[in-house]
Amino acid sequence: MTRKLPLTLIGISYKTAPIEIREAVAFSKEEQAFLIRQLNHQFSFKGIMILSTCNRTEIYLSGESSADITAVRNWLNEYKDCLYFTDDGYFYVLQGKEAIVHFFQVISGLDSQILGEPQITGQVKEAYRLAYSCGGSDTFLNKLINFGLQAQKKVRRETFLSAGAVSVSYAAVELSRKIFTELKKQNIMLIGAGETVELAAQHFREKGVGRILVVNRTLEKAQTLAAKFSGEAYTLDDLPALLGEVDILLSATSSPGYILTREMVEKHQKNRPYKPLFLIDLAIPRDIDPAVDRLDSIYLYNLDDLEEIVQANLAKRKQELPRAKKIILQSVESFVQWFSTHASTYIIHHLSRYFENIRQHELKRLRSRLPLEGMPQIEYLTESLMKKILHQHIRLLRATVKKPQLYQQYLSFLSDLYGLKKK
Amino acid sequence: MYLIDRVLTLILPFLYLMLLYRYSQIFFGHAPRYEHKTRVLLSLVLLIHAFELLLRQIYLKAMPLSSIFDALSFLAFSILLVYFLIERIYKNQASGFFILIFAFFPILIASFNPAWQQESNPLLANPLLAIHASLNIIGYTALVIGAVYALLYLIQFQNIKQRRFTRIFDQLPPLVYLGKMSKGAVLLGIIIMGLGLTLGHLQTKKIFGQFFLPDIKVILTDTIWLFYVAAYSIAHLKKWSTRLLAYLSVGGFLFLLAVLIGVGFGKSFHTFH
Repeated sequence: MTRKLPLTLIGISYKTAPIEIREAVAFSKEEQAFLIRQLNHQFSFKGIMILSTCNRTEIYLSGESSADITAVRNWLNEYKDCLYFTDDGYFYVLQGKEAIVHFFQVISGLDSQILGEPQITGQVKEAYRLAYSCGGSDTFLNKLINFGLQAQKKVRRETFLSAGAVSVSYAAVELSRKIFTELKKQNIMLIGAGETVELAAQHFREKGVGRILVVNRTLEKAQTLAAKFSGEAYTLDDLPALLGEVDILLSATSSPGYILTREMVEKHQKNRPYKPLFLIDLAIPRDIDPAVDRLDSIYLYNLDDLEEIVQANLAKRKQELPRAKKIILQSVESFVQWFSTHASTYIIHHLSRYFENIRQHELKRLRSRLPLEGMPQIEYLTESLMKKILHQHIRLLRATVKKPQLYQQYLSFLSDLYGLKKK
Repeated sequence: MYLIDRVLTLILPFLYLMLLYRYSQIFFGHAPRYEHKTRVLLSLVLLIHAFELLLRQIYLKAMPLSSIFDALSFLAFSILLVYFLIERIYKNQASGFFILIFAFFPILIASFNPAWQQESNPLLANPLLAIHASLNIIGYTALVIGAVYALLYLIQFQNIKQRRFTRIFDQLPPLVYLGKMSKGAVLLGIIIMGLGLTLGHLQTKKIFGQFFLPDIKVILTDTIWLFYVAAYSIAHLKKWSTRLLAYLSVGGFLFLLAVLIGVGFGKSFHTFH
């Protein structure tokens, strides 16, 4: 009758396996839907959720199934036609509280490859939606998701685990926001039309930057990129004239020399002395003369500088880990407490039924021996006795809920005393 | 009434300290969840202080500016009031810690005031001169806050130029915002002080028959105000950079502080009373 936390996790992640293996055991949406139904049917798990992302594949199984986990792993091997699922070097199996702690860490971004990245929360929600739509959710899994999301929100609210940019192009956006009050009032010039420029343009567009001016050696390429972001296209010859119209300039070309010189920037500064100009040089070799950084109101950052920001942010995120872990453990304790209360209700129900069965059995025997007129009083007396005995059990059970060790001991005692384990 | 006010006077430094602690928590990033509660606490402290000043005004039948303690208490209130407005407008609490340090020490000293001093100076009973004094204090406060924002601007400027990505860099508001706030606060100070000084001169003309009286405080306040007006106007015309303006604002504040300490501004009233 001792109720352990009925959660089992079979998983693989970037920490345990290289990308080739992760790819081989990843599940598509269709496969996930099929698996949820099959695992439920074949192994009688009440709740099944499959989280399959580029960094991990994790199968969460809830409910008290009599199935051996090895059998489930073998079945998965068969399904994927591989032997990875039973390979302990790649796959980990966690159970009970350990699995819950892991899940809360995953949903909060503590287990992510880029510490604190928020994308995983959406992926977990998506996995749960699928589980729900395929009949793979039960009370335990529903509550697990609820508590997990609450823990994730608390981690985000009370720590800086997800703060600061962790990619070079995003660091450039973040830095712009440290210089200017609102990006929507700022215009950006992008020099070049490669992938780096496109990614940066995407980030700046997401943050609502004003005009986007794309400048490139060949006008066609500039036009193609500008069209993607509702921008304007120009050639490099237009650069000096356009300089006065922009607040942010990002350059990533393969030019062997400087595209933007100190003289060009100085001339531009004379026309707008109060306004700052943020220059981002993502090119190797550099596109912007480093001497411009010495000018007042000009802020020049190159690849190394931005990489430094990324590293500093990652270090800051790591510093937040102990606080985030503490929140996770508190949330896990709250969840365990909920489960204990939930388990108590379940046990009380079983105990009531147990006592009621005995009472009914004894009453049935007595009915043939005692006069009928005395039966209502006897029924009342036995019911009253039963309730009083039951009340003592319920009182003790509820009193020990917050003391897990004592609670488990008491559950054990009840199981042995009333033989509830078998039932 | 007297007892309630005395209790409030003693409680206020603790409330300011509590507020300062909350802002330090926000600034150093230990408690992002405190932001809303801190906003409520700020409003509450402001209301309590306003109530305390009102009680004294009713009891003394004059503006509570009779002693240096009274002046410091009003100064702290002004800082809190100006900061409260700035926080509401710009919706940013990151600078609160730096601003409220300047409010805490005046209120702490003000709480040492042993007893209320009935104002013997007939000038302070004159409501227009009381407004003149209040405007000047609020004007000075705005200049002080302008200097604090200028200092924060210079810190953030150095952080960006020197690639110092510390917690201070993370928590400080954007550079342009700090520059605008500094300039805005200085302009506010110039306008409010200008109004206060004009009102003061008009009243002396009415009472003493002279627009300008040779009093050290009048001379210095007028000089300080003219210095700020001149610097601000030249900076605007010559299109000086925000960095230069920030240096000027900090320098102006240090000069102002030295002058105030030098002449013992709060100790006595104008010599001509």
